[in-house]
Amino acid sequence: MRWFGFGFNAFGQIYVHEKLIKGVCSDAVNEVKVSSPTELASQVDRSDCRLTTDYQIRASWSRRASLHLDGDSCACLAGFVSNESCGRPMKESRGCKDAIITESYMTLAFSDRLESWDLQKQEKTPSWSMEIKPHPESSGPPVNLPLVHGGYIATKPPLYRSLSPHLRAKSLALSAEHVILLTASGAVYTWGLGSHGQLGHGGLSSEEEPRAVEALWGMPMSCIASGGWHSVCISDGGDLYVWGWNKSGQLGLPSQGLRKTLQQQSSQQAGAPCQDASTYPTEEPKEEEKHEEVFISIQAFPALLDITPSCEIRTVSCGCRHTAAVTTTGDLYTWGWGDYGQLGHQTFISSDEPQRVEFFREQQMRVVDVVCGAWNTFAAAVKEEVA
Amino acid sequence: MAKLWSKISAVLPHNEEQFPLQFSEKVEPSVVEMLKRSRLQLYSDSTSASQMLNAQIILDFSWEKLNMGTWRHVDKEWRRVYSYGCLFKVGALCREDPSADEVLQAVRTCDMGLLMGAAIMDNILQVIVRILQDEVRKSTKEEEENDHAEAKRIKMESPRVPVIKEELAVPRIKCPSLESFNTNYLLPLKPVILEGIIEHWPALNQHPWSIEYLRSVAGCRTVPVEVGSRYTDEEWSQTLLTVNEFIDRYILNKDGGKGVGYLAQHQLFDQIPELKEDIRPPDYCCLGEGDEDDITVNAWFGPGGTVSPLHQDPQQNFLAQVVGSKYIRLYSPEETDKLYPHQSQLLHNTSQVEVENPDTERFPEFAKAPHLECVLQPGDVLFIPVRHWHYVRSLELSFSVSFWWS
Repeated sequence: MRWFGFGFNAFGQIYVHEKLIKGVCSDAVNEVKVSSPTELASQVDRSDCRLTTDYQIRASWSRRASLHLDGDSCACLAGFVSNESCGRPMKESRGCKDAIITESYMTLAFSDRLESWDLQKQEKTPSWSMEIKPHPESSGPPVNLPLVHGGYIATKPPLYRSLSPHLRAKSLALSAEHVILLTASGAVYTWGLGSHGQLGHGGLSSEEEPRAVEALWGMPMSCIASGGWHSVCISDGGDLYVWGWNKSGQLGLPSQGLRKTLQQQSSQQAGAPCQDASTYPTEEPKEEEKHEEVFISIQAFPALLDITPSCEIRTVSCGCRHTAAVTTTGDLYTWGWGDYGQLGHQTFISSDEPQRVEFFREQQMRVVDVVCGAWNTFAAAVKEEVA
Repeated sequence: MAKLWSKISAVLPHNEEQFPLQFSEKVEPSVVEMLKRSRLQLYSDSTSASQMLNAQIILDFSWEKLNMGTWRHVDKEWRRVYSYGCLFKVGALCREDPSADEVLQAVRTCDMGLLMGAAIMDNILQVIVRILQDEVRKSTKEEEENDHAEAKRIKMESPRVPVIKEELAVPRIKCPSLESFNTNYLLPLKPVILEGIIEHWPALNQHPWSIEYLRSVAGCRTVPVEVGSRYTDEEWSQTLLTVNEFIDRYILNKDGGKGVGYLAQHQLFDQIPELKEDIRPPDYCCLGEGDEDDITVNAWFGPGGTVSPLHQDPQQNFLAQVVGSKYIRLYSPEETDKLYPHQSQLLHNTSQVEVENPDTERFPEFAKAPHLECVLQPGDVLFIPVRHWHYVRSLELSFSVSFWWS
């Protein structure tokens, strides 16, 4: 399995360019914005930790963690780091079974304990920790982060938040301001900020407590993901449901905000001088266009998103304002905000409809997993087996 | 234009060391790193493209923070970071011989910082936007001829003024003493129109506010505009336009536009201090407990036909009419039960009733609520006591200034 990254790379979290090594900040657009999938360099190991080629990726805005779970498990950080541990295993992570990363904290799950380390300060002890009972039989991860025993790890303090055991949580997805929870029976609960319809209850109000997304009732879900202001989930049958803010096309539905931005960008690129108000791009579309297409700015209920050609979705991940989904046939589709190249279409153009990332087909590779950072995307792929 | 950059760099700190970048712990070190990179670029020879890139990263990141949660709860630090992003973007736009369009973009960038950001470095964006505006003005002098014609055409429309029944008319009084205003109106919370108290405003004499004057002072400045006939409508939205665009589109209807645009409830005078010179807070505000700095001054500029639905505000209000006329209806807070306020938290200060076309079946009690009304003319100042319900419709091109005080 090989991992590729594209999108925001101002801190070298996808690849480290020469200048960054010398400590000079990058000048070139193509070093800060990676528009074409670029393979992550295999970790150079100068320690006694034996790194495997099979690893998981976790990403925040400025960092990427590679999580090696086989053998001597550990996590390696890349991107913005205030110390010199770049690319080397975090010594605190030895033996971890799972990890998550935010802009401020790295939370590690071990077989007998959980630890959250403040990434801003170089502290000798974790900011938060909790002992857990090792599971006698299973050798798999003791928890499914950010879900932990009796609760979950939030993005800001207090890091530990408790959850009612009645919910029977199976997995949990967090954005800065809202939470999505998937239960063992496939029901979806949301809570937190609702200002952009991201909770899927039909309104814009916030919810203090977990509330079931009724529109999905009776339709078991298998996977959930949350972006900055949007939410997605996959049904057992491989259908994709989306809701929340669509300003950048992150729902894959027609976005007026996006069309306006593209219009402005293209007129700027064409160098059209705007001396006079009448030559400004018109904010509103012409009357005829309006009737052709129904624009969605906020989708307050889950909506089924069709991807053509029709396909089953296997896994999905959200950045702040973009979405990436992998089909059961090994194709990667991306949509939403593309300014930093996070859609991988070798452009910096946003898209309000799912588009296949052709790179992997061209390389005869099958995508098996995807993980989004805030403004970038990481995809795992394997060589297509020739029949 | 190289002169433009020397004027701007003259107001920037002399060197990197003197350029402050102090933030609370809320702002993560990675973000501070981006800010430092931009600062370094400002004082070194990097290309404007790479400066623009870093500035945009700062703007994109802080924009996301500004859109998290409700505006009230956004940490001021993120508004400061946003302002820094604007400052660096202005630097990127202006340092290499900017085109006229780039200068306009820089003005817009400053305005975005003034509207959404928080003041940094002694409000440096305010200082820079003045320099930029001088530059813009130089290049637009010759266009002013045309505006004269427009302004005349506008003035010719004469509005259909509703007839005000004498028994319902808001009383009028000429320059009362502080004492008599206090005893007769402020303490008993009675509405009144004060005449002759703003005649000394430059806005009404030295440079009377007109389309051409606003264009010359603020034409290239970006302001928030409400689009849709009233804020309670489904279709209602807010957008950002330059004053010139707003005038062309919604006042002169140049592109045959439909729809009503209203530059409403905007603290224009903090954004454009030059216009603040043209007005004065009424002396009567001193009867309140707050300082002069606590007075919230809003601009209300729009064509005929703008409507503010019946609503109440939590402060005393002096509504000063500078240009054009407005029809206003007032209901005492005692009548609230008959006015059917919206249920939702967001609109509970707004009545559901369309005042001039009430649905008597849904709102049977409304007709029983007594009211006062008036047509506010240039030079009039209406005292709207705290929590008094008011409905406002402009009868023609209108510019009013409201002072909220306590």
